[in-house]
Amino acid sequence: MFNGFTAVLYREFTVYRKRFFKQLLTASLSPLLFLIAFGWGLGREVSVGGMPYINFLIPGLVTMSSLNQSFAISAEINISRFYFHTFDEYLIAPASHLEIVLGEALFGVFRGMLSCLIIFLYVVVFKVKLSFNAMFLPAILLHTFQFSALAVTTSMVVKDHSSQALVNNFVITPMIFLCGTFFPLGKLPSAFNYLVSILPLTYSTKAIRASLTGGTVEYSHLSIMGLFCLVFFITSMLALRRVEA
Amino acid sequence: MYSDGIFPTVNQTAHQSVLQAKGLRKVYGSRVAVDGIGFSFEEGEFIGFLGPNGAGKTTTIKMLTGLVKPTGGEITYFGKDFFANPRFAKRIIGAVPQQNNLDRDLTAYENLKLHAILYGMDRSGMSEKIGEMLTFAGLTNYRDMQVKTFSGGTMRRLVIARALLHEPGILFLDEPTVGLDPQIRRSIWEFIVKVNNLRNTTIILTTHYIEEAERLCRRVLIINDGKIIAEGRPDEMKKEIGQYVLEIYMEEGINERFFESREDAVIALRDSRYPCKVREVTLEDVFLKITGRRINV
Repeated sequence: MFNGFTAVLYREFTVYRKRFFKQLLTASLSPLLFLIAFGWGLGREVSVGGMPYINFLIPGLVTMSSLNQSFAISAEINISRFYFHTFDEYLIAPASHLEIVLGEALFGVFRGMLSCLIIFLYVVVFKVKLSFNAMFLPAILLHTFQFSALAVTTSMVVKDHSSQALVNNFVITPMIFLCGTFFPLGKLPSAFNYLVSILPLTYSTKAIRASLTGGTVEYSHLSIMGLFCLVFFITSMLALRRVEA
Repeated sequence: MYSDGIFPTVNQTAHQSVLQAKGLRKVYGSRVAVDGIGFSFEEGEFIGFLGPNGAGKTTTIKMLTGLVKPTGGEITYFGKDFFANPRFAKRIIGAVPQQNNLDRDLTAYENLKLHAILYGMDRSGMSEKIGEMLTFAGLTNYRDMQVKTFSGGTMRRLVIARALLHEPGILFLDEPTVGLDPQIRRSIWEFIVKVNNLRNTTIILTTHYIEEAERLCRRVLIINDGKIIAEGRPDEMKKEIGQYVLEIYMEEGINERFFESREDAVIALRDSRYPCKVREVTLEDVFLKITGRRINV
């Protein structure tokens, strides 16, 4: 019954294994640059909410990096749909849409989680003191799942590479800069508060930051993240159904 | 036609209807891609959908394999409705799409393994089955090589091998030899005929190559503008319009006249004021006679 699910994961992990070092290197670079530029360069003398800026920044980088890695499956599914047509193999096979979506989304979760490990390595290297709360695990799971499911949705909706890039530029990048990743949300003009309050990354950042900096993880935030998971999961199922129209 | 070719004819006892379609339609916006076609195929048949590019052949195959939802009509496999029993139907069909949609980052073996898992094949005998299929397709030497290094012909072979791995009763091939050089095309033909003869797999292929349809298919459905405009054995269809053609090269284009015998054609040739040529009839003439245009323009 889970043949489609297993097959998707077999494919993704076999390819991932072959590209492991390349992918690891790619995932390591941008958070490192952010750490150097903002953590060391700009933020050395700055403190936010009573903590050194670098402590504030690290959880932001965890959300940013894992979001990027989880969402990256979108471009790859897009290539497999429109360039190599390998995605058709799944659609022709006796496998349900549910299996395909879940397989891809879980691989996205895996990629996102792996990128967190890289940042934790930096934490050790940069000698940053974080307090690790067990609530980090459900938070990062929900966080990576919602953006993996969004990635699957996007890859099913867009028709070519350029629209894929459009989504990256106009949805993902602004979200990364506006949702409290690099600075506390209170600093923004109030009009922005309405905008960021409907963006999923806002809640991920709050929950993940709280779990890594000794704050309390609000259940309401986790619930909203769960809701986004559900919404994006449903949209990806609907979008996949439309692919076969 | 096929009896004088390179391929042996095997006496087959066709009986059960493996695939039936009724009133199959596909409409994209205001464009009708497939306009209410129907057919019934029996086990072991070798069918060809022949028609020009854009006739609706690929859309038909995509509907039959579940890649595209029909606007109307019904499809049944072994008497069971396709859409009510998708898992059953998808397990008994194999599909070779127009593009070589192999995973280029995987080896030949890994591509087949992915397919085996996808089709829920038994884990215990999986590796042996894949080995046997690679041998059957003549790809043993390519087992552990990355697909991105393969030539077009080798990729084609692997795509066909992959589609056969779960032992489907029906194999769909969408333009199987497009873009291949003549020698490779011939080897792919031999491979497909072998599949049909040795495994008794029902084969349904689409093509816009006249020669491909004439050489391989025991039954041809000629498709134009989303409709089946003629159907039958290639030799019988040709016999119906006459055995020989007199091509008359006139200023406004080539005019064609059909004759029962070469002698009649030659007599007509003598009276012509224009340059002429006498040749045997092909399926293209059948198409031309019905539609007034050529398949490959």
